[in-house]
Amino acid sequence: MTVANYFQPTSVPEALALLREHGPDLVVMAGGTIAMQLINEGVSQPTSVLGLRRAGLDTITPTGDGTRIGATVTLTTLAGRDDLPLLATTAVRSGSWTIRNMATVGGNLFTPPPGGDIAVALLALDARVVIAGMSGEREMALADFATGYMTTALETGELVVAVIVPRVAAAARSAFIKLGRRRANTPAVVTVAVAATMEGDIARDVRIALGAVAPTPIRARAAEAIIEGQVLDEDRIAEAAAAAAAATAPATDPIASEWYRRRMAGVVTTRALEQLAGRVPEAA
Amino acid sequence: MGSVVVSFDLGGRPVEVLVGPLTTLQSVLRTQLGQTSVKDGCRQGGCGSCTVLVDGEPMASCLLPVQDVAGHTVTTLEAVTPAGGLSPIERAFLDENGFQCGYCTPGVEMLTAAFLERVPHPTREEIVEALAGNICRCTGYSSIIDSIEAAAEAGASAQTGTAR
Repeated sequence: MTVANYFQPTSVPEALALLREHGPDLVVMAGGTIAMQLINEGVSQPTSVLGLRRAGLDTITPTGDGTRIGATVTLTTLAGRDDLPLLATTAVRSGSWTIRNMATVGGNLFTPPPGGDIAVALLALDARVVIAGMSGEREMALADFATGYMTTALETGELVVAVIVPRVAAAARSAFIKLGRRRANTPAVVTVAVAATMEGDIARDVRIALGAVAPTPIRARAAEAIIEGQVLDEDRIAEAAAAAAAATAPATDPIASEWYRRRMAGVVTTRALEQLAGRVPEAA
Repeated sequence: MGSVVVSFDLGGRPVEVLVGPLTTLQSVLRTQLGQTSVKDGCRQGGCGSCTVLVDGEPMASCLLPVQDVAGHTVTTLEAVTPAGGLSPIERAFLDENGFQCGYCTPGVEMLTAAFLERVPHPTREEIVEALAGNICRCTGYSSIIDSIEAAAEAGASAQTGTAR
């Protein structure tokens, strides 16, 4: 492994200038929990790497309609945010303490399945990605960001600088369940994040996101439509869970088979929706 | 770019190393600074055997470019071991048979040092959660957890010198 350059820009303009100068050959790295792993293995052999730890992107700030989370905010920081309960819960269930101290929110958007739990929770929160380029910032729905396995809508010379999580209604509820081969520090068999605003028993503004069961995190829109405006009872939940399972396109890998992932997508979606409906206590 | 000079604090003493771009902290600690407690395990951040503290926070040194810790404080097991003796954590691991082959031990003990700073009197469940990223292939987890409980009872957190 011979890397010719490791750049440590201290600002976004400096990072963008380096991206323009070096083009697509420059590998962007935040926490290093994916990029360094691939470099250590020799799978990735970049000539130049750009590290974001000093780029000043590690703050969480209130914004017009929600919360802006800098791209290099770590999962440990996220885990301590009581005001972002779904993200905090998801962060706690991601990686190990050591990895949470390094892994970042922005990096999670580039993490191939079965990793990348935070992106699943962000998808259920209707998050937007803030992308900086030479002509300024643009925003994009996270649902449009990942275009395939390890590919994104990011254009050459652009940098993800933050995600924005829209403010939720006071009656908003959410749940996150990750099924792995063991309880902690594990890639997912399936990850499910659900969010909705409950008006009594009626669910509105329903979002169901699944991870590790397709080349990208997915929204189960057909399942959402089944529940939207309905009483969240056993039948509706079963129908929606079946629709969510049908929306998956899982891969077989050392963690789980395609068959098992699809089956568990339905089971875990059922459990997450039951939590949302308050039918079962939140599992640890 | 060529080689670069990186300075940081290693357990209370300033150090300066000459490294190639993107050299890992793990590699520098082990091969240039004699910190052989820092193991060269999976190089994927998955085993915990290279765990060191950076400004008191446990990190996987195999995934961390040494250039990222320039100006920061790095703590290894060598740094918390008193000259000619054992730290309270090491003593507890010895007393409770907290290791067999010993490969995972330095990483586990550094994790323990950071953990007991934050949670001086942990439950067994809290210990298990904290240890999720440290793999022991001798499968000695029970005695490792016993050791951490013993270290906590001995008040190890006040004596490790790993202030946040």
